[in-house]
Amino acid sequence: MPRLHLGDWVDSAVDFLQRHLSWLFDAITQVVNGMYDGINAVLDAPQPLLFAGILAVVAWWLRGLSAGVLTFAGFALIDSIQLWDDTMSTLSLVLVAAIVTLVVAIPLGIWAARSKTVSAVLRPVLDFMQTMPAMVYLIPGIIFFGVGVVPGIIATIVFSLPPGVRMTELGIRQVDGELVEAAEAFGTTPRNTLVRVQLPLALPTIMAGINQVIMLSLSMVVIAGMAGGGGLGGAVYRAIGNVDIGLGFEAGISIVVLAMYLDRMTGALSRQVSPLGRRALAKAKAATGGLRIWNYRPQPAVAVVGVVVLALVAGGMNMFGSSNEATASGAKDVGKGKKISLGYIPWDEGVASTFLWKELLERRGFTVDARQYEAGALYTGMAGGQIDFETDSWLPTTHAQYWAKYKDKLEDMGSWYGPTSLELSVPSYVKDVNSLDDLKGKGAEFQNRIVGIEPSAGETGILKDKILKEYGLDGEYKVVDGSTPGMLAELKRAYAKKEPIVVPLWSPHWAYNTYDLKKLKDPKGVWGKGDGVHTLARKGFASDNAEVGTWLKNFKMDEKQLTSLEAKIQSTGKGKEQDAVRAWLKENPGLADKWTPVSS
Amino acid sequence: MSSTREVYVSRLQAEQLYKVFGRRPDEAVRKLEGGADRDELRADGTTAAVIDASFTVDPGQIFVVMGLSGSGKSTLLRMLNGLLEPTAGRVLFDGQDLTSLSAREMRTVRSSKISMVFQHFALFPHRSVLENAAYGLEVQGVPRAEREKRAAEALELTGLAGWGDSWPDELSGGMQQRVGLARALATDADLLLMDESFSALDPLIRRDMQDQLLELQKRLKKTIVFITHDLNEAMRLGDKIAVMRDGRIVQLGTAEDILLTPANDYVASFIQDVDRSRVLTALSVMTTPHRPDAGDCDCESVLADTPVADVCTVAARVPHPVAVKDADGSLLGVVPQERLIAFLGDDKQGPAVCSMEEVATHA
Repeated sequence: MPRLHLGDWVDSAVDFLQRHLSWLFDAITQVVNGMYDGINAVLDAPQPLLFAGILAVVAWWLRGLSAGVLTFAGFALIDSIQLWDDTMSTLSLVLVAAIVTLVVAIPLGIWAARSKTVSAVLRPVLDFMQTMPAMVYLIPGIIFFGVGVVPGIIATIVFSLPPGVRMTELGIRQVDGELVEAAEAFGTTPRNTLVRVQLPLALPTIMAGINQVIMLSLSMVVIAGMAGGGGLGGAVYRAIGNVDIGLGFEAGISIVVLAMYLDRMTGALSRQVSPLGRRALAKAKAATGGLRIWNYRPQPAVAVVGVVVLALVAGGMNMFGSSNEATASGAKDVGKGKKISLGYIPWDEGVASTFLWKELLERRGFTVDARQYEAGALYTGMAGGQIDFETDSWLPTTHAQYWAKYKDKLEDMGSWYGPTSLELSVPSYVKDVNSLDDLKGKGAEFQNRIVGIEPSAGETGILKDKILKEYGLDGEYKVVDGSTPGMLAELKRAYAKKEPIVVPLWSPHWAYNTYDLKKLKDPKGVWGKGDGVHTLARKGFASDNAEVGTWLKNFKMDEKQLTSLEAKIQSTGKGKEQDAVRAWLKENPGLADKWTPVSS
Repeated sequence: MSSTREVYVSRLQAEQLYKVFGRRPDEAVRKLEGGADRDELRADGTTAAVIDASFTVDPGQIFVVMGLSGSGKSTLLRMLNGLLEPTAGRVLFDGQDLTSLSAREMRTVRSSKISMVFQHFALFPHRSVLENAAYGLEVQGVPRAEREKRAAEALELTGLAGWGDSWPDELSGGMQQRVGLARALATDADLLLMDESFSALDPLIRRDMQDQLLELQKRLKKTIVFITHDLNEAMRLGDKIAVMRDGRIVQLGTAEDILLTPANDYVASFIQDVDRSRVLTALSVMTTPHRPDAGDCDCESVLADTPVADVCTVAARVPHPVAVKDADGSLLGVVPQERLIAFLGDDKQGPAVCSMEEVATHA
């Protein structure tokens, strides 16, 4: 078989589109961003509990008192675990995605229902959209739309569009042919046949499709989080990255609450909007009889009044809220409110240095936005200019691929920490293995496997291509590809049971503080010399921000400083990274001015 | 037919209608005109649903198209109101060629002049009974108050007064079809197309509906094209009947024509199951009077259109052949008893000579 260079063609197609259609992508980005910002501003404005009250009134109207109470309890829970803001941005993201999806899907579904050709053409396209793994088009999405909510929303739309189209088509097609014929026989125009007969009768199916669209959108928020979409997806992604089971569960349960609420409400709404559903409701109500409080539903008018009153109260209270953020002044105000975007991968030294720089820059009058990204998204976003700099690139080895791909669009601000090292490690209770040489012949003890990390990681490449060969471990050991969180979870499990395990690790890493591990010696020096932790910036950042460029180039941390900062962050807790940085800077006076000097 | 009604009531005419489904229909029509039959076309992947159908329906007439499933009768019906476009041929209604109308003009005709009643009622489940009955008027753009009034009148006509606020699924099958009928009547269309409208009903209810249709027809004098697969129903309702087979009309005539002179074995095999005594009338069994003063006695007599079954009843009570008279009482003919028995038994030869006859006479 000749090799078809399908991948290369796609690559050049993406390049072509980026070069020639950037105006279109920019326009889409503007529109989607605008929608997201607008909706998010509205959802984020009210006090959490008041907004929970509004949602509860809606639930009361649509489903009854118990649903209202449960809604309030669910959203109060989200507020109490301090994921309210994340939940609202996720809700905004889902709403934008769902609105755009429906605006596209319903007309497409109608068109497909009326034309066999359209239906036949659409079907493989929809299959493609539904089954192509989201990660595959997420990165091109970032190239086109930049990091942030937009590629997440686009990926969500691509994924949730098919059921919307399919259910609309199905709903219309399954309307009894004799009814359509009856409408035609009485001289109804095709348009009115659609509006008066087909759509009303297809409505329950279409509403089921809308429900599916919303639920699938929610299932995509984690993917959106990887592209910097923030919200609950970001929280989940952060939790996975840190093997933080607690945060993962909290964010997960928030998604579940949101999903159940949206599912039940759209389900109930479908009964309210379709004529047949309203009839069924009226029948059920008549059957139960009586005006018991349990069955009492506020009339739409009452519900609207309730929602409006709560919204007004919410708006009023918001007026009194005031910001009391500390601001830089005088000579120290270098930034004058200028915006800088930081990105980071959820590695400990990355988190520590990123929030350190966030604090340092804010003290110098910059407005800093720090977001977590998946590594590919981070580099793509920085190359595209949406992210200004990041502090956690391990060069020249670990992140070599990214550097090779994007070096034309990035600037290396130098290494601030080093050297790092890559190694294979075993728990210290594995007595007779101290060096890579010792692994030979012990395969059975480790079940012939090395629990690996991402197949794309630089370390995996060295491990498979060099270490196994040089130390004659080929054939005896198999590297199990997976993910860093997966590897760490497996390490945690084996460690608790005192089972032998061998994993690829790197220093610095918090695992060495948490577990008693042994780095296997590398007498042949195959791992190579350690990396330095580099700060990378988008091309042109240093010339746009001369002072910041100089500060970053001169930035250095030693091991004591870094580990103590990491420990401080670890002990302060999730979500309070910046507080930890402030406390740490207080304990280490003078460092801030040393790293970010201003001419007085 | 009185001449005044001629002006008001419409008239339907089908001229050499063809409907071919599949590839190159026009070529198929040429082949059919050249004498090709349906099976030859089927080999090419085209289906000839209706072949060379011509008929006229007089004002106020119920025209029944009878045939088994697949005979093309429903396709034929749908060409009459343009739901299907004929491959060849014309449909004339009120002197207007419907096949030449644009889609928009055709819709106007359908909304005001032709209405339709369906096999499975085709009521809109999301509309109340009244809204269903008012549907055709709503399409015409009649204001709400007026269309509700007229829909209520139509419901009353079909015996559903007071059911307007109910929903279709709350009604029995027979009542649902009355709503379907009311919907068709509410628009005051002259032409009513009924597609197996009573086939989905129980036999008793079907009979009720047939009676009611005949009753309504006496008052409203619509022109009706009625499709059925049930020859008994066809004979009960039809002023004129077309029997269809394999897309062609194989016989066209009154119920009696078909019963007495079936065009071929196919039609003949159909009429075996028909209750002849209810379809045939005194007119078709009577013979010339055995004596000129046959009608002058005081015995019971029958009219020309009295069904044979009723003639039998009279014959049992009368000691001589039954006199058949017209409305004015003048003698048309007589029905001898043995002729009645011969007709019921479908015997055309008449009594033979019996070898025992002399013995019987002498005894």
